[in-house]
Amino acid sequence: MMSSVLLALTIPFAASGVVLIIPNKPRALKEMLSLLAAFATLALSLSFYGRPASASFDWAGFGINLSFRVYNFSALLVIATSFFAAMLLMYSCVFMRGRENTKLFYSLILMSVGFVNGGLLADNLICLLFFWEALLFTTYGMIAIGKTNAFKTATKAFIIVGIGDIFMVVGAAICYNLAGTLRISELHIDSIGLGALAFVLLMIGALAKTGSMPFHSWIPDAATDAPLPFMAFAPASLDKVLGIYFLTRISLDIFRLHQESWASYTLMTIGGATIILAVMMALIQKDYKKLLSYHAISQAGYMILGIGSATPAGIVGGIFHMINNALYKSGLFLTAGSMEKQAGTTDLEKLGGMATRMPVTFACFVIMALSISGTPPFNGFFSKELIYDAAIERGTVFYLAAIAGSFLTAASFLKLGHAAFLGKASEIRPNIKEPPIIMLVPMIVITAACVLLGLRSAIPIRLILPVLNGYISAQEPLTDFAPNLSLIAITLVVLTCALLNHILGVIRTGSGLKAVDHIHYAPLLHSIYDKAEKGIFDPYNIGTGLVKIFSVGAAWCDKAIDRVYGSLIPTAAETVSFAIRKIHNGSYKTYILWSLAALFLVIIVMFNGLK
Amino acid sequence: MPSLLIFIPLFGIVILNLPFGKAMRNAAFWFALAVFIVQIVLAITHQPIFWGNEIEQMDAFFRVNFSVDQLSFVMLLCIGLVSLTSLLVMRDTIFDINERFKFINLLMLASMGMSGIVMVTDIFTMYIFLEITAIASFILIAFEKDVYALEGAFKYMVLSALASVLILAATAILLLGAGSASFTAIADAIHRTDNNLIAVAMGLFVCGLLIKGGMVPFHGWLPDAYGAASPAVSVLLAGIVTKAAGIYTLIRALNSILGFDANIKALLLALGTISILVGAFAAIGQKDFKRMLAYSSISQTGYIVLGFGCATPLAIAGAVFHLFNHSIFKSLLFVNSAAVETRLGSTDMDRAGGLAQKMPITGFTSVIGALSAAGIPPLSGFWSKIIIVVALWQAGHTWYAATAIMASIITLAYLLAMQRKVFFGKLALGLEDIEEARLGIRAASVMLAAIIIGFGVLFPSAYAIFIAPIGEMFIK
Repeated sequence: MMSSVLLALTIPFAASGVVLIIPNKPRALKEMLSLLAAFATLALSLSFYGRPASASFDWAGFGINLSFRVYNFSALLVIATSFFAAMLLMYSCVFMRGRENTKLFYSLILMSVGFVNGGLLADNLICLLFFWEALLFTTYGMIAIGKTNAFKTATKAFIIVGIGDIFMVVGAAICYNLAGTLRISELHIDSIGLGALAFVLLMIGALAKTGSMPFHSWIPDAATDAPLPFMAFAPASLDKVLGIYFLTRISLDIFRLHQESWASYTLMTIGGATIILAVMMALIQKDYKKLLSYHAISQAGYMILGIGSATPAGIVGGIFHMINNALYKSGLFLTAGSMEKQAGTTDLEKLGGMATRMPVTFACFVIMALSISGTPPFNGFFSKELIYDAAIERGTVFYLAAIAGSFLTAASFLKLGHAAFLGKASEIRPNIKEPPIIMLVPMIVITAACVLLGLRSAIPIRLILPVLNGYISAQEPLTDFAPNLSLIAITLVVLTCALLNHILGVIRTGSGLKAVDHIHYAPLLHSIYDKAEKGIFDPYNIGTGLVKIFSVGAAWCDKAIDRVYGSLIPTAAETVSFAIRKIHNGSYKTYILWSLAALFLVIIVMFNGLK
Repeated sequence: MPSLLIFIPLFGIVILNLPFGKAMRNAAFWFALAVFIVQIVLAITHQPIFWGNEIEQMDAFFRVNFSVDQLSFVMLLCIGLVSLTSLLVMRDTIFDINERFKFINLLMLASMGMSGIVMVTDIFTMYIFLEITAIASFILIAFEKDVYALEGAFKYMVLSALASVLILAATAILLLGAGSASFTAIADAIHRTDNNLIAVAMGLFVCGLLIKGGMVPFHGWLPDAYGAASPAVSVLLAGIVTKAAGIYTLIRALNSILGFDANIKALLLALGTISILVGAFAAIGQKDFKRMLAYSSISQTGYIVLGFGCATPLAIAGAVFHLFNHSIFKSLLFVNSAAVETRLGSTDMDRAGGLAQKMPITGFTSVIGALSAAGIPPLSGFWSKIIIVVALWQAGHTWYAATAIMASIITLAYLLAMQRKVFFGKLALGLEDIEEARLGIRAASVMLAAIIIGFGVLFPSAYAIFIAPIGEMFIK
């Protein structure tokens, strides 16, 4: 069992290395190899479930070792990771054809799978941090492969996520200091005093990886610059899997989040704010991919809200929602990819009437859009209901944020679907048709998973429930979550309202794309939106602005110091050096005199000592 | 068996000089190469069969005992490595077969003398081997027979003569006191008596060794000798001759004969610091590559002596490690200067510029050598300096530690100035046709740079195997 745990890392790593060194031609070789590795990892991870195991190897000393632990939660998420990797690699095989650096892209994807699996299975904080940080580099690489100037966005992502990681490192150090161990399964810390600080720092790291506000602003940029499979891969699925996994671990196992604690309220506030603000931005986007990217942020808010609520329903809902979101969000990005590949653009103003040209893609889109909006009987509905249940238990305001988010999500997807697939057929490119079957298969599989998880929602919930073991006391029933009928009714009303809102908008403006213009151009919102579009609220821009001011000040100080080093000290050194060179006059008589004088001094010292 | 390291080169020289014609002269290079490589391998592997410490008698009157301990191993390794480097540089700088033959004879003689110095166990034989090394060195410095070389050799000879007088006088006094020349007998005698004359003898002896080692203010001969000698000789002198004749003998004398007298310790701390500072400041203003390296050599030797003056096991281990490192990086920098000299015809730094473009291997290895000398991690020079500084700090010599750190900034300053003038920047006018150095010089510089990087990166194991045992030798 020990070796098979490691295989979840070594298979992707080995394949990643091999893909990088094998020759470019034939093209199919590296594609087949990557796919083979991804499916092998998937098969392996399926064998993990229900068989707890652990493995440990000495590494750096000081309690830092490579230790891994497979238990139900991590096993479940390793399955999810490997599943997404397999699907997206399959999709990329066709999608990435004709681009540069595909070899590097496959290699980076496989490497990321290895790192994510390592992070999920790690049972040592340092080991986890190692894999966690390593993801920074693959993220950077995969974004930078995109357009020619994508490295700027890559740098932005690197800095934003990297700052979160720095906080996390400090948090881990405090944990070690408090608990005296680095084993995650043995870490239990009270969140008071330093412990509270450690929790906040680790939480920041987890939130930054998840992409919640205020660590979100690289995601929309990456949507336009990075290769599309990256979007489906990292921000939509793997980053969420890893971030939410770690958030759950620190909230449940390490710090034992309490319902009435400030930490719980903080998390819920961040979650609520992320839902609303990101979805508001999504609403007004005029680009397929960018719109989706804001939803990738907004949906993270639901998960954080659910876990932050510290109620059984919320936690299970949050994790369930994470899996659901990873499914439909990556699936939706894949439909965007079909559009980009076949129509050559994702600009909604140019698209239209694609439903007849790409019926399969359209069908997938509809199901997943319904799912993300929380429409029964698809999977998103069940996880959202659980989160609503938890939110209303903890405070009406959180519930209102969540339900408003739902309304806006539905509205934005109505707009997106209408603008892209319905309406007047655009003629940007003749003979637009469905993408190749290899691109369709992952889409269909993911859509089917959405439907299945919806129809049989009891199964995933039962799989997630053991996560609560040890967190919720044994008296409370862990088996069922009774559906709250009034909440479901409200949900349905809200969704109907969204539909009515869309119909009204279309009637008013005559176009699907402009269906939400009445919200976009509402009196007060209008000016806020304008500023947001310019990036004024982007924490990254604010941060870089502050850094610029700081650097001007620092440069000024530096000049002053420079003067000391640039003229004062060299002049002094030159003077001393000149004097020393002068007394070395090259005459051996002088040198003998020095030696003899020193000899007498030495003998005097030998008699009397240095006083 | 250790005496084979003396006898094989000695009889080798004799046989090579028999009038058998040209074949022997051609064989001399390979013979010398083989001897040095065997010495390196033996020193690294510590073959117990070879090094068994049996007592060997040369004849009834004149007993010579050789014994080898960890410190000798490090020195034998340095001697082998630097002699090998010098031989390789010679291959690319001296082309006349007769000149080469003479050089190889002298090089083997010097190397044999140094091997003797580090293995003897009595003070008089040590003096003999010192003289063998010194005389071979005089001739080597004067090898090119131009006016500067002769001047440099003359100054070295005059001051060495002074050193010989001092050492011989001290030996005579100690011999009188102890009745025997062996280290242990003299150490016992010093322990027992409380004669003031012994203190004088100690002073004379230490001063003689400091002249040989080129410490300030006994250093006057050193820049002229290093600067005027031909490239292969500069490598040998700076890398090992002054270290074996002056610095190794100093620590051996302190440990085995004189004991760590409080006055001597204070003296060494003061002289070490003065050497560090004077050498570093003088190096700043130099225009000639080799003279700059010569002053830098004085400064680096100061660190070693500072470590001896501190005299804790850690400090001595660090100092010996620095001695080893200094042998390697200073040889490397002199090899680089040889590369520049062979291609440019001079070592004037103002005439060079941008050579790294044309001589990439020389340029790269010189950066490694310079950074190691300045003590930049993870190169090996960093570790030895930090050990010395930490040891000084632990022993309470805070100011000496601070000075040592400050001086390593100056070291970085003058070495970087050298890099900028010689290797970086725009290619100087008239140097468009410059080529990379020849094979021997290239091989030597790559070998030394690899040692610097290897010892730096694998420092923990290098320390445990090579250096820590030396510190333990001094715990008493």
